[in-house]
Amino acid sequence: MSSVTHVPPEGTNIMLTPQFYTIKRESIPVKYSYQAKRIAPSLFEGLLEEAEYKYFVSKEEDGWLFIAYDEEKIKTFLEQKGIMPEQISKVYFAEQASEHFTAPVLLGEKEALVNLNGTMTVVPQVALTLDEKTMQVSTELTPKKGVTFEGRGESFISSNEAYTLAAIFMLFAVIYFVEGSRYGGENAAEAAEIQTLLEDYPSLQSSYTRESIATKYKTIDKKERKKRDMIKALSHMIFKGSTLTSLSIGNKKFQAEFACKDANVAKKLKELAKKEKFNTTKVANSNDIKIEGTL
Amino acid sequence: MRELKRYKNELIIGLTLLLLLIAFFYKQVQVSGESSSGKDTATSLQELKEVISLKKIWGDKKITKKVEKLKTILPPSKVQWSRKSKKLTASFKNITPQELNKLMVKIMNLAVEIEKLDVKKSGTSYQVELKCKW
Repeated sequence: MSSVTHVPPEGTNIMLTPQFYTIKRESIPVKYSYQAKRIAPSLFEGLLEEAEYKYFVSKEEDGWLFIAYDEEKIKTFLEQKGIMPEQISKVYFAEQASEHFTAPVLLGEKEALVNLNGTMTVVPQVALTLDEKTMQVSTELTPKKGVTFEGRGESFISSNEAYTLAAIFMLFAVIYFVEGSRYGGENAAEAAEIQTLLEDYPSLQSSYTRESIATKYKTIDKKERKKRDMIKALSHMIFKGSTLTSLSIGNKKFQAEFACKDANVAKKLKELAKKEKFNTTKVANSNDIKIEGTL
Repeated sequence: MRELKRYKNELIIGLTLLLLLIAFFYKQVQVSGESSSGKDTATSLQELKEVISLKKIWGDKKITKKVEKLKTILPPSKVQWSRKSKKLTASFKNITPQELNKLMVKIMNLAVEIEKLDVKKSGTSYQVELKCKW
């Protein structure tokens, strides 16, 4: 093959002849390409020379077509012919279009590419019969799937690294967007809730009114809750042997008197009152206990 | 076009990194909004809810009706009732410990300001005097 003098600026497609790849056709029970690609290296074990191979798989009617190729070797060859890796759009393998090769394709002056029983093979042109018709490679032969080569020495990062990094950045970007919108949404939801509440309670629209109502009711709430808590605490002091004989609750203090059956009951009552931080006094000449406290 | 293709990987990374930065700043703006005006909004909402709930309890418009029900839990013969507008003076006489218990529970559950509550035992029964307002 002579050197290529002109490559279109938009790039060119390459169809590789069998010298550049090794094929294997296998009927294996896998459904997807990525599964087939995963087992491809094991299929070529012991068949290939020492090199770093890449694999291409394609589904065929009866099974899978596996192709192993040495990207570096192909690039080197193409560079020698004046085609830089970054000028290549897609790379295809002649095997992929074997059914279209109905006649030999002449490769330079000595060799020809022929379809031998369904497998693409390079043969010397002398092996062709003299009157055999030949065909030209055209865009009609372009298979649906191909491989892309990375530019050599131009890119600082390999495709794999680039895609991995891009995926990580995208993932974080999505997380940040979701979090951001959640914060924004919360704020808006709270503002909307305030609006709804103010519509339901128009008298609370002024902050002055709100403050004055809050102060008024908070004072009442605190005082009245204290009274009720005190009554609840005193109710726990009524048990077997202890009877409430009087209770007086005012605005600032309270006083209760309990009749106790004996000294033990009086002691227990005193302990309970102490727990509630109430003041206790013993009524003279009896077991009765007087409990007092402030509100 | 060829130049773009040559640096395709860098372009992919650059664009996604740019997107990441935009997303990050978007989040920061939202978070700072949340932490300043957002915090104020949250506080206002909490305060408003508190005022509303206090108002519902202590400014209940149906409280007069609820207070009136207090009269009916004991036989009329045991109740002396005097209500003027939003002030009540009531006395309950000769009530059993069970009735006292019931009465106290009712009083405690009423959102009224208890000005005076006197309970006195005489024999086996109790006398209760209640002064409250709302």
